[in-house]
Amino acid sequence: MAAGVDCGEGASARQHVFLVPDTACFYRLTDCGNSALEYLKEASKKMKSGLMFVKLVNPRSGEGVSYLFNMCLPQLFEIKVFKEKNHSWFINESVQSGGLLHFATPMDPLFLLLHYLIKADREGKFQPLDQVVMDDMFPNCILLLKLPELEKLLQHVTEEKEIDKKKYYKYSKEKTLKWLEKKVNQTMAALKTNNVNVGARVQSTAFFSGDPLSSDKEEDYIRYAHGLISEYIPKELSDDLSKYLKLPEPPASVPNPPSKVAAQRQKRDK
Amino acid sequence: MESSDGEAVDKRRVHLRPVTLRDPAPVLLHLLPCEVLVNRPAPVGLFFTPAIRQGPDGLEVSFRGRSLRGEEVVVPPGLVGYVMIEEKGEVLLGKQDFSEGMADDEQEERELVEPPEALERDFDRFIGATASFSSFTLWGLETIPGPDAKVRGALTWPSLAAAIHAQVPED
Repeated sequence: MAAGVDCGEGASARQHVFLVPDTACFYRLTDCGNSALEYLKEASKKMKSGLMFVKLVNPRSGEGVSYLFNMCLPQLFEIKVFKEKNHSWFINESVQSGGLLHFATPMDPLFLLLHYLIKADREGKFQPLDQVVMDDMFPNCILLLKLPELEKLLQHVTEEKEIDKKKYYKYSKEKTLKWLEKKVNQTMAALKTNNVNVGARVQSTAFFSGDPLSSDKEEDYIRYAHGLISEYIPKELSDDLSKYLKLPEPPASVPNPPSKVAAQRQKRDK
Repeated sequence: MESSDGEAVDKRRVHLRPVTLRDPAPVLLHLLPCEVLVNRPAPVGLFFTPAIRQGPDGLEVSFRGRSLRGEEVVVPPGLVGYVMIEEKGEVLLGKQDFSEGMADDEQEERELVEPPEALERDFDRFIGATASFSSFTLWGLETIPGPDAKVRGALTWPSLAAAIHAQVPED
């Protein structure tokens, strides 16, 4: 991989070009009282190690990928990398090979929790969350337990029991499919409102047969949205979702929509 | 890929220094349509930047004798661009930096509040922003990269990601 070339003598440290939500770097903007700028300055001064990159599981593939955590919000961000052949950066007075562009975008932590809930479901019983979210390979997964409103999130995908004021959870496929259907619907809506962008992307993937701007092939939108959501759930669940949505079997020659950042996940060569 | 058998357990966290995000200097960024296989200083301001001309179809320049056409691409709204560099083996220095600007009593207070397992550990690494940007120049060989260019598609990803990851309404 060209970007991984070690440059030997005279080489500089690798520079990473990142796009990050402007709210991610500080405390929530809505918490600001009077002057937003002053607040941000104060907040960032006081902030300790709030932002960090950690390796966690990719719920689709089971591999390790980097995520960005903001422990001050707290919030989870997914990292995707734009990478295309034959690109490089000029960054001020330097050159950086690879031409990689990293995106940090907010991620619904429920996709990651779901990975662990499904795994734990093999035992077929109600369990406390801290016994579900355990991972020898990616011990940083305990950070997920610090995210806010977990109980509320879990209602979408689990049955729960409360015993002695402690909550116990069990994966519910039925509820999960309902939740995923809502995800598909809101993704479809976004695909439609982002018409121009979607059009360009769709043409490049040759996924839709006709011109998506003029056609109103609902089925194509559903399938596309299903493909996007499927990147965050295990294959088996994706297949179940396909049946649940009553999606016809796609023609064998048509691949699933590729990763939207025409690129790979965070490089794995660290 | 290191995910198969025998993958080392990855406990490491790479902390992003918050101070470096505060007022990073603006940076001039060019995305070139060719691979330069090195990472090192280059006299961009001596050879490249002064040669950029405003032509009828956008910006014009040449690199290694090839003609490039480009245009300014603005970072999507709600996003900030940063250039980040990972530091090597400066863990102790890092810890001092983080407490910078923190009053003593505040720090004590924080230490009391802090959970038993700290977010920041000795084997962790650090990364810092060296500069920020709100646009960059996108270059194509002979012609400006069109609307189907992959990089333009990638820039629409954040708005789609927002929809995928937004919380769903309750029943």
